[in-house]
Amino acid sequence: MAEAAGDVVQGTLDMLILKTLALEPMHGYGIATRIEQMSRGVFKVNAGSLFVAFKRLQREGWIAGEWRESENNRRAKYYSLTVRGRKQLGEEKALWGKQSAAIARILEA
Amino acid sequence: MKRLLEGLRQLFGKERADRELDDEVREFVEAAAREKMKRGASRQKALREARLQLGGVENVKEQVRAFGWEAIVGNLWQDLKFGARMIARNPGFAAVAVIALALGIGADTAMYTIVSGSLTWKMGLDDPSRVVVVNAVDRVHGRDFFGASYPDFLDFRSQTKSLAGLAAYRMTPVNLSDSSALPDMYLCVAMSANGFAVAQQKPLIGRDFRASDEQPGAAPTLMIAYHVWRDRYALDPGIVGKTVRVDAVPRVVIGVMPLERRFPEDTDLWIPLVPTAEIEKRDNRSLLLFGRLRDGNSLSQAQAELTTLAHGLAAQYADTDKDITADVEPIMVIAGVYLMRPLFYVLFAAVGFVLLIACGDVANMLLARATVRKREMSIRVALGATRISLVRQLLVESVLLSAAGGLFGWIIAIGGLRLFDRGLGSIQKPSWLHLSLDREALFYLAAISIGTGIIFGLAPALRLSRTSPNEAIKEDGGGVSSKRGLRTSNVLVGLQMALCIMLLVAAGLLTRSAVKLYDAPIGANTRNVLTMRVTLPPAQYPKPENWIAFHDDLQKRIAAVPGVESAGVASNVPLGGWVSFPLEIEGKAEQQTIGGIVASNNYFELMQIRAARGRVFNESDGHSGPPVAIVNEAFAAKFWRGEDALGKRIRVTDSATPAQWLTIVGVVPDVLQNLRDNLRHDPLIYLTFSEQPQQRAYLLARANVPPGAIVDDVRREVQRVDPNLAVFEVRTLDQRMAESRLSVSLLGGICSVFAGIATLLAGVGLYGVIAHAVSQRNREIGVRMALGASRGDIARLVFWQASPPLIAGLAIGIVAAFGSARLLRAALVGVTSSDPAAFGGALFVLLLAAFLGCAIPARRAMRVDPMVALRHE
Repeated sequence: MAEAAGDVVQGTLDMLILKTLALEPMHGYGIATRIEQMSRGVFKVNAGSLFVAFKRLQREGWIAGEWRESENNRRAKYYSLTVRGRKQLGEEKALWGKQSAAIARILEA
Repeated sequence: MKRLLEGLRQLFGKERADRELDDEVREFVEAAAREKMKRGASRQKALREARLQLGGVENVKEQVRAFGWEAIVGNLWQDLKFGARMIARNPGFAAVAVIALALGIGADTAMYTIVSGSLTWKMGLDDPSRVVVVNAVDRVHGRDFFGASYPDFLDFRSQTKSLAGLAAYRMTPVNLSDSSALPDMYLCVAMSANGFAVAQQKPLIGRDFRASDEQPGAAPTLMIAYHVWRDRYALDPGIVGKTVRVDAVPRVVIGVMPLERRFPEDTDLWIPLVPTAEIEKRDNRSLLLFGRLRDGNSLSQAQAELTTLAHGLAAQYADTDKDITADVEPIMVIAGVYLMRPLFYVLFAAVGFVLLIACGDVANMLLARATVRKREMSIRVALGATRISLVRQLLVESVLLSAAGGLFGWIIAIGGLRLFDRGLGSIQKPSWLHLSLDREALFYLAAISIGTGIIFGLAPALRLSRTSPNEAIKEDGGGVSSKRGLRTSNVLVGLQMALCIMLLVAAGLLTRSAVKLYDAPIGANTRNVLTMRVTLPPAQYPKPENWIAFHDDLQKRIAAVPGVESAGVASNVPLGGWVSFPLEIEGKAEQQTIGGIVASNNYFELMQIRAARGRVFNESDGHSGPPVAIVNEAFAAKFWRGEDALGKRIRVTDSATPAQWLTIVGVVPDVLQNLRDNLRHDPLIYLTFSEQPQQRAYLLARANVPPGAIVDDVRREVQRVDPNLAVFEVRTLDQRMAESRLSVSLLGGICSVFAGIATLLAGVGLYGVIAHAVSQRNREIGVRMALGASRGDIARLVFWQASPPLIAGLAIGIVAAFGSARLLRAALVGVTSSDPAAFGGALFVLLLAAFLGCAIPARRAMRVDPMVALRHE
């Protein structure tokens, strides 16, 4: 798992977080595990980058955070996707699709 | 926007944000640990693993804190506080640095203020790059007419396609008289009616000239400049429509131009150029032409077209326009200040040197302090500071120093400008010269303050930030400064010395020039002589007889004024040039063009010049008796060397009718009429006023009281003879001489001030480097002394330390000074650009400063107590 895993590039990390939150609001650790899960272990999220990404996404207004009681009756900060964030996710998905198609074309040629 | 608010919240709600972040990250760790515990690990092991995987709670928090613009601001603020504290802890060093920088920055800003006006001078036009001047030239015979003729102008104007408009003008001084004040002399431009349209300028009040104004027989009109309206007419709202007399011709004021609009040449008044028979001659090229390029056309296109048009005219009017072509140049070439640009660049470079020397001083000081701060730096690196943050923090310190220097430099700049203003005295300041620190100058001040901070701070910062954490562990905290550091310091000192020598040489040359100038004997007694100039307008004084009559009458009246010893008239005063005369000398085949001075018969007595041979003019010369002339010794030496000049004959040949022969009756000693290199005396002739009457002349009055007392009385006499006549440039002869010499002495003064500051800074700089080097070698000195070295040996050691940069710097500097001195050649009088005295003096001064700079550390080194030194770390 460790060898194949790589740190996620900043731009894509944003997109992955948004996608994760599109399904349901989550707290930090939950998002990290979900991303690892969904990528089948390819992406292991660096905690530092993750928290910085939270701050950035909050600043941009794409996610909103609030302190809530978690499943264990502990206080945790839950993030949820905003309307603008949903829109941003759509745009980023489209852009990513174009980019990866182009790269694939180049590599196949 | 949200980012801004969030950032602000972070800055001011730091504690709360921090606590939240802390909670969040710890919760993350807890959640991770719980996961691991579910898989069977103990709580302790799970927590430890979770923390390791995270990478450290504090680490993560740091990463998050570092993000966002407020982090940068926060860092900067911290750097500023720290920098200020560091500087406050070393007040001595800070004081020296700030003073050095203040001198450099202040001088630089002052020079910028003086010079910037000239470099951005736009002649009162909005867009001088689109305006051109058209000149007639005769390349075949090598003549430049600096103008063109009226018929040619009309043809160009009607035929040109590349110029959107073409106008012609001529400038003359005129007398303006009206009921509001005494008549005054102003510069008047007679311009074609489209002139303002071509310049794209509109009057502030009133109307522009119309085509009807330039028709012969049209009612005479006048446009005045704003400052004339303000100073002479006190912003009289009824100025438009007022009738005033220009050279006694009544003219109606039709408008006033806006402030600072004095195109084409610092003009005071404009009148329409009405064609006369004289002007309409195709070979009378006394008009200056200016035009505006049509949109989309370039200067070279206009040049090409006008050359073609000129060829056409040359073919069509072969008798007047043969070989004449047209030169098209940017309008700026007629601005006098254009020619001064090279001089200004030189001055600017000179002050730049001073600033660089100051920067070098501070850089060396910082390098020296770097060795002291090594331990601090290495501890910070060990605690995790990145190199960038170290460099940033050190640069902030440097910029703080230079900003403080800039603040004091502001005061120095104001003082310097005021001194300069005082130095100029009562000379008329050119309109582009502004001597106050305006917004632009303050921007410049701020820019170079920050810029110098970065320049001198960068090298030391880069060097210092490279320290490794190991340095802190060493007990002596670094010990001897690295070889590379010393070399950098030496290079800086060498450069400072080189720049300093160049400035000293320049100052020396210019000062010697000024001294030569002031020492040069004039040859006449210039004290207590009042002078003023008059120009007799042709309208009322059409014939030479009128001029003679006017001056005869006036001279008698002025001589009768109480306080006046004698009154006279001359075409030129000493240091005032001469009139050119084509001369035929009896017995010599070639015609000469010789300078001459036309004066009243009592001129020599008035100026207290005694004849060296023969006599000076007497009462009857020019009225009765044979026609006579007088020459100066230079003339006699040139044409009649070894012979007696008395009795020889010359005649002036500038008119069609043959003139009469003049017999030389006297030879007078040379009077200095021109300030040129080597102060050479030119051959001159003296003619009586009745022989060659002049339309323009200087009135002279020798007073046996201070000349200021008789000014009003003399002017009143002029008024009594002609109420419309203005006198101008009312000054004493001594004041006039001072003005003529002013430019060289001013330049010399400025350069001397800069050279003085530079020497002081360079000396202090050398002192700093040597003192530091010596203190670093304290232990070594102690060892040497303990081993038997004498105090002389130690002193020699110190001086030996200083030699390499000093010698190298002087060598480079002297060579460079030879080169730069050549640039000054145009400004030097009586001194060559490789004057040995100036070079020798410069070397001496700098060596003296260097010696003093080394002497103090040497003395300290000699007094080192070996026991103390050996114990000292």
